[in-house]
Amino acid sequence: MESTFKIYINGKALETSAGKTVLDVAREHDIYIPTLCHHPRTGKAGKCRACLVEVEGLRGLKESCALEVRDGMSVKTHTEQIQEVRKMIVELLLSNGEHNCIACEKNGHCELQDMAYHLGIERPGYLLDYERITLDESSEGIIRDANKCIECGRCIKSCNNNVMHEVLDFGWRSDHMRVICDDDKPMGESTCVQCGECVQVCPVGALTFRYAKGKGPYWELDKTKVICTYCGVGCSIDMFTKDNKFVYSLGTEENWQDQTNKGMLCVKGRFGFDFLNREDRLDTPLIRKNGKLEKAGWDEALDLVASRFTDIKAEHGPGSIGFFTSARISNEENYALMRFARGVVGTNNIDHCARL
Amino acid sequence: MNDNIKSRIQQIMGRYPRKESALLPALMLVQKENGNNLTKELVAEVADVIGVSLSRAFGVATYYSMFNVSRPVGKYHLQVDTNIPATIMGAVEIFNYLSDKLGIKHGETTPDGLFTLSKVECLASCGTCPVIQVNERYYELMTKEKVDMLIDSLRKGIMPDLPVEYNWGTLCNVLLKNRGVENAKSIAVYKQLGGYKTLTKALKMSPEEIIQAVKDSQLRGRGGAGFPTGIKWGFVPKNTGKPVYLICNADEGEPGTFKDRQILAYDPHLLLEGMIISAHALGCKQAFIYIRGEFGWIAEILEKAIDEAKQDGQLNDLSIVVHRGAGSYVCGEETALIESLEGKRGLPRMKPPFPAIEGLYGCPTIVNNVETLASIPYIVEHGADAFKQWGSKAGYGFKLFGVSGAVNKPGAYECPMGISFDELIEMAGGYKGKIKGVIIGGLSVPIVTPEELKKGPGLKLDYESPAEYGTSLGSGGVMVIGEEFTMPEIAARTIQFYHHESCGQCTPCRLGSTMMTQLLEKIADGNGQEGDIERVLWLCNNIRGNTLCPTGEAYAHPVITMVTKFRDEFEAMIPKKA
Repeated sequence: MESTFKIYINGKALETSAGKTVLDVAREHDIYIPTLCHHPRTGKAGKCRACLVEVEGLRGLKESCALEVRDGMSVKTHTEQIQEVRKMIVELLLSNGEHNCIACEKNGHCELQDMAYHLGIERPGYLLDYERITLDESSEGIIRDANKCIECGRCIKSCNNNVMHEVLDFGWRSDHMRVICDDDKPMGESTCVQCGECVQVCPVGALTFRYAKGKGPYWELDKTKVICTYCGVGCSIDMFTKDNKFVYSLGTEENWQDQTNKGMLCVKGRFGFDFLNREDRLDTPLIRKNGKLEKAGWDEALDLVASRFTDIKAEHGPGSIGFFTSARISNEENYALMRFARGVVGTNNIDHCARL
Repeated sequence: MNDNIKSRIQQIMGRYPRKESALLPALMLVQKENGNNLTKELVAEVADVIGVSLSRAFGVATYYSMFNVSRPVGKYHLQVDTNIPATIMGAVEIFNYLSDKLGIKHGETTPDGLFTLSKVECLASCGTCPVIQVNERYYELMTKEKVDMLIDSLRKGIMPDLPVEYNWGTLCNVLLKNRGVENAKSIAVYKQLGGYKTLTKALKMSPEEIIQAVKDSQLRGRGGAGFPTGIKWGFVPKNTGKPVYLICNADEGEPGTFKDRQILAYDPHLLLEGMIISAHALGCKQAFIYIRGEFGWIAEILEKAIDEAKQDGQLNDLSIVVHRGAGSYVCGEETALIESLEGKRGLPRMKPPFPAIEGLYGCPTIVNNVETLASIPYIVEHGADAFKQWGSKAGYGFKLFGVSGAVNKPGAYECPMGISFDELIEMAGGYKGKIKGVIIGGLSVPIVTPEELKKGPGLKLDYESPAEYGTSLGSGGVMVIGEEFTMPEIAARTIQFYHHESCGQCTPCRLGSTMMTQLLEKIADGNGQEGDIERVLWLCNNIRGNTLCPTGEAYAHPVITMVTKFRDEFEAMIPKKA
């Protein structure tokens, strides 16, 4: 068994074990340490400097996202000095660009907004001269607003290290630095495949889903954990809905390590659910009666299929029946249908489209 | 891109353990072949040949200041260094003269496409400012007459030879002992002067013996941080199964510093001998010299010296690759340098892990400054005690200093560690006129006033005495600021440099330097407002010590001292409310 030891955060003794960071332990115990660049799925980055803490016996402030716990370590998370540095960070970020929360899609779950709230900052004391960057609305599903970007680099890390599309990077440097797609193309003209991973990890409103715009602020949405219906991988989706209508989907973040998709989604799982909101969506089986498709119940439909299969098999033999399955159902369901075809119907006529 | 260039890029890729490292030299090559311009198409082709993503290649191409991406430059790119040491030696006048003469401003190109004029940051030519870099060549100690000669010649298509007289001197006769010898950079002359004898001795010693000698000498890193070299070497883990890399840091980017080039350009074999000995001590088979991009001609000198040493059998199984940077101050920081050598944007890494454990390509790596490595042969040849004949426990041995600004003989001087500041100024010909302040260790250290210099036992140049004067030895780049400059303009120009060079990755440095620049420029222009000075100080106090790499404190410390020690001058620039 792993040996445990105690560390002290703000004087409170907390049991933990080696290999964790101070930030991990603080989060486990609901101690708020702001982070703008660290994300559980993109790791430490050291860029935002918001998570700095004071450690007894160590000179200067340390990044809690990278600092591994040691037996007996004593940490302070909210000293006057730390809060002053955090205030400066928020002031600097708010002073540069356009951070207007009122109609922002991220209002209510923006990590910069949270940090400003906790520090009591309503507006920056000084505004930098700043040149507005045009919105990038060139892609199908994502709106990029560089004026809200805080250059945390999460999107870049997720694009390069998680989904490995290598589309995003930083271009230029100093305050000219900004996120680029390929060689600074509009996203829609770049090699981006619109998986939307970057939107999911963005701490602010710089990357948002186009179709979610104006559909409702975060606090009005319901979150339901579902399994993606597109392929057999079985990705976990946190589906956000309002009034039972689909708004957007995120890869499940909770216990993401244990999910098959590790919090990620592909373009279909991310953007392929708008059909749920269609009025003409099929929601019952249809049976053709007198040349016209009519709504039916499941029992009725299945009875009809069973009796027709039995009739056809008796009349023409099992070889006259074939089955075609799909990658949109699971391995187990495919297997079950194979057993049904061969064992129950008695035919080898079973195939699979093997694509979505 | 033609096949010839493609195959040259492939050749460059072959020099490195990992092909991505070829990204900077490949972009540099392609740009040179395309009339000093880099297009998006060329960047894409380079990315394709090397096998990196387009975003990474474009990110690199736009990070480094020497790449002209989507920013066409003329046939001759006139780059005038206007950093602090240059400014205090009259560079702004030269820039304005050029600007008037050519009828173009910063960043503009003459209608005939012949000249582009740019203000650039420190070119490590501080003792010989004003300096103009024309494409890859330096023109130093420029006067208006020399500018006329230069432009006339360039209009005829000829890069002229304009004479420069360098000031230098040595009290120790080690690092600069061959500085005045004609062609000491050739291996034949170097060997006649006794060169490579120490290497023969070193190869008979065990690595442990050499490391011990370096530890005993208490040699401290000469790049600026002053970390004990022997202790750094001792951090390299044994038997990891990974190669050990040695990198010579020849980035020489700290404004006020022009010492390493004295060795690199005039006595390259001294550096190579030091590197070969150090590599033997570290069990390293692959070494690199990371040289700042602007030192193109020095890179050629080094490559030639490496060839000669190889032909002469001095390298044994060691390979040394010269890797040119492409314009980034931050790449002087060792982890940023490693990133740059890996073909990436020069962004400092989080530490730990330190490079000695996990450096280049994730392998144990030692990064040492040129002067540090060039000091090794003396220690191995004569022993630690001989090295310690100079200096005291506050720092032993010999040290190169560069003196620029308001002195009569600005130049490079080799002195015993612990030499008094007054003595060094005397070597440099004494002060020229009245002075306003001195910066003794490169631009990143606090400024000292003449009044402060008069107090106490006298400032000595070692690792301890400067602390008593609220400053530090840094890289040994001494800048003497004459009385004709106002401190708000010096402070504004100082922060402009760090703002230009901030890698951008961490918030306090990226936006803090932006805000400080805007505030200090406003004050220097007479448009400051009440509260601006306090805001600058508030930023400095919260930036220092809290950035990802030391760049934040590198500008917070000097700016704090400029503002607090000369506060009257700043207050006077702020219009009072009626």
